[in-house]
Amino acid sequence: MKPLSAAPLSPSVKVKLLRAGFDWEEELRGLEPLELSREGGLSLEEALEVQQILTRGVEQPGGGGLTALELLQQEERSIVTFCSQLDALLGGGVPLGRTSEVCGTPGVGKTQLCLQLCVDVQIPECFGGLGGHAVFVDTEGSLVVQRVVDLAQAAVHHCSLQDHDPEQQEAMKTFTMETILEHLHLMRCHDYVELLAQVHLLPDFLVRHSKVRLLVIDSLAFPFRRHFEDLSVRTRLLNGLAQQLLQIASQHSVAVVWTNQMTTQLVPVLGETPGHRAARGLLVPALGETWGHWATQRLLLHWEGPHRLASVFKSPNNMESSVSYSITQQGFRDASSSLSESKQPSSSLSESKQPSSSLSESKQPSSSLSESKQPSSSLSESKRPRMQEGQ
Amino acid sequence: MASKKLRRAGVSPQVCELLKRHRVESCQDLLSLSPLEVMRLAGLSHQRALSLLRSVSTHCAPPVATLLELWKPTSESFFSTSLPALDRLLRGGLPRGTITEVAGPSGCGKTQMCVMLSVLATLPSSLGGLDAAVVYIDTEAAFSAQRLVGMAQARFPHHFSSRERLLQMAGRVHVFRELTCQDILNSLPGNLATRSNLLSHQASVLKYLAHRFNIPVVLTNQITTHLGNTGSEAPGQADSGFVTAALGNTWSHTVNTRLIVQYGDGRQRQIVIAKSPVAPYAVLNYTIQQEGIRLHEGGNQEPMGETGDPVLQPIRVRTEFNYSLSRPAETDGYR
Repeated sequence: MKPLSAAPLSPSVKVKLLRAGFDWEEELRGLEPLELSREGGLSLEEALEVQQILTRGVEQPGGGGLTALELLQQEERSIVTFCSQLDALLGGGVPLGRTSEVCGTPGVGKTQLCLQLCVDVQIPECFGGLGGHAVFVDTEGSLVVQRVVDLAQAAVHHCSLQDHDPEQQEAMKTFTMETILEHLHLMRCHDYVELLAQVHLLPDFLVRHSKVRLLVIDSLAFPFRRHFEDLSVRTRLLNGLAQQLLQIASQHSVAVVWTNQMTTQLVPVLGETPGHRAARGLLVPALGETWGHWATQRLLLHWEGPHRLASVFKSPNNMESSVSYSITQQGFRDASSSLSESKQPSSSLSESKQPSSSLSESKQPSSSLSESKQPSSSLSESKRPRMQEGQ
Repeated sequence: MASKKLRRAGVSPQVCELLKRHRVESCQDLLSLSPLEVMRLAGLSHQRALSLLRSVSTHCAPPVATLLELWKPTSESFFSTSLPALDRLLRGGLPRGTITEVAGPSGCGKTQMCVMLSVLATLPSSLGGLDAAVVYIDTEAAFSAQRLVGMAQARFPHHFSSRERLLQMAGRVHVFRELTCQDILNSLPGNLATRSNLLSHQASVLKYLAHRFNIPVVLTNQITTHLGNTGSEAPGQADSGFVTAALGNTWSHTVNTRLIVQYGDGRQRQIVIAKSPVAPYAVLNYTIQQEGIRLHEGGNQEPMGETGDPVLQPIRVRTEFNYSLSRPAETDGYR
């Protein structure tokens, strides 16, 4: 028995029905629309709508639960980043059906990572990819088509080196730079209203384009960092948006990736001379503390001297840790000196490891390939999503 | 787009009336509501509330296109700087439809760069220009029409051989002297939040114009002292303070491409590509001549060598001690 007050009907209709003495949905089921309109004091149109809504409610099974086994099979699918260390850190790449946030200072490579994912999601299945399409929501105008062409050409070249069996050769015919561009849908949103509108329409879009496996919003922060005198309105909108994105991720088994900017937070410095208030600036992800709860996993890209580092600082199933990466002409890749190491068989690893002293900070002298999954104690400082900035 | 009235977005008059009672009049107001609120305010069932939100969204949402449709030849998506080495790195020049920032100490050539780009934009496409007019917003009263004409003559002596062409070019550069803009920014009530908000708003207007009309937007930025950890220096030099681009971290997110001009050794100056969606970090040497900026090939081009966070990119000012603040930059030569 379901109470009528919980039915998804319009308030006025609900009041009329309750007043007419209907308390439970079941009481309405047997009635013809004409009867209902007379007994409930509704117009015929309203009565028809009530019947439609209630029958639709019956067809849907109540709360489709899944077993962990089914979830396990879904969770295995993820998008590689082409940076083997980062993939290892993320447990195979960016997972489908989840939301991920990429934070980082300007110019550190957030957009580059997003573009790389947009290309990598299209790698055919026989190469171990997903063969999916991608949607890129651009709010900053940083997407340069020429750059995607670079990345696409590099990815096609990379795959063409590995086509050994006929199936792969067949797949290469439809995996070209042009098809990669064709399967990447771009939406350019200029303000937050356009972004909200676009997200409302995305479920329909994803039904029409069922091959889409990746949704990127670059950046989510930019449209929400102005226009808001009342921050509570912003928080409410962001929460609604995040809820929709979570729904999109799980219902369409799409990986949702958004980027966030960094902002300066002033924290008082303790132990200074009295009467002289000092404050230190910390760089923290924008959009506030509450926002941090929404993404399933959060990745921070930052500089450590001349090296670019990627750190996972929120993840339900991966260790908090940092790896270095680089951005080359071909795209988002391993840091140059570590590339050779991770690709080599473990026997020769010990030789090649010794001379590389440039990356000594992020490398522990362990001999296994899975080292990036180990919690390395020397990096405990850089794990936190905070970096020191000036005053 | 956002302030579009609901009535014009295909919402029925009855629903409009109901929503208006709750001061929900534009698409922006409606889309800021959750489906449950729409149900309550408009008296609709859940299903209808969702479809109302969707139909209003279709009126607000920008069009979707695949990248293949947007892929244009280089000349349409980039604005050549006529400096071959820089163009090569930037894949054809300054990206059109986005914001490019030129930051640097005073007297290093920011204005020269802008004047040079103004000349280039007016050139016919056969010479690599945009064959278009220029809006030059001058907040420091640094623009000199004589310099514009002089540079055009020196740089393209063949094209600007006739006085008529020269005057035609000058007529296409529309200069707006907005000296008060600086005053407004300076007189803001010491509130950095207000400033960031204002800046972000201006940035999004500029971005909209840039994208809508596919024009390159170039703006210059001053430099400021940044105290604290440089991130890239040796531990001994940390906390010494250095000079970097002004307006802060949030602003740095906003610009799509950031070029830094700085002093090198002797008369040499350098252009640094500090942030770009297409180009790697790179340093190019140049000097300022009669014809504007002239690059010096060879030298110490460092296309791939990265030095760290471009936001905290230390900028070399004119002094014996690089990265030091003790002496202000002298201003001589061209601004």
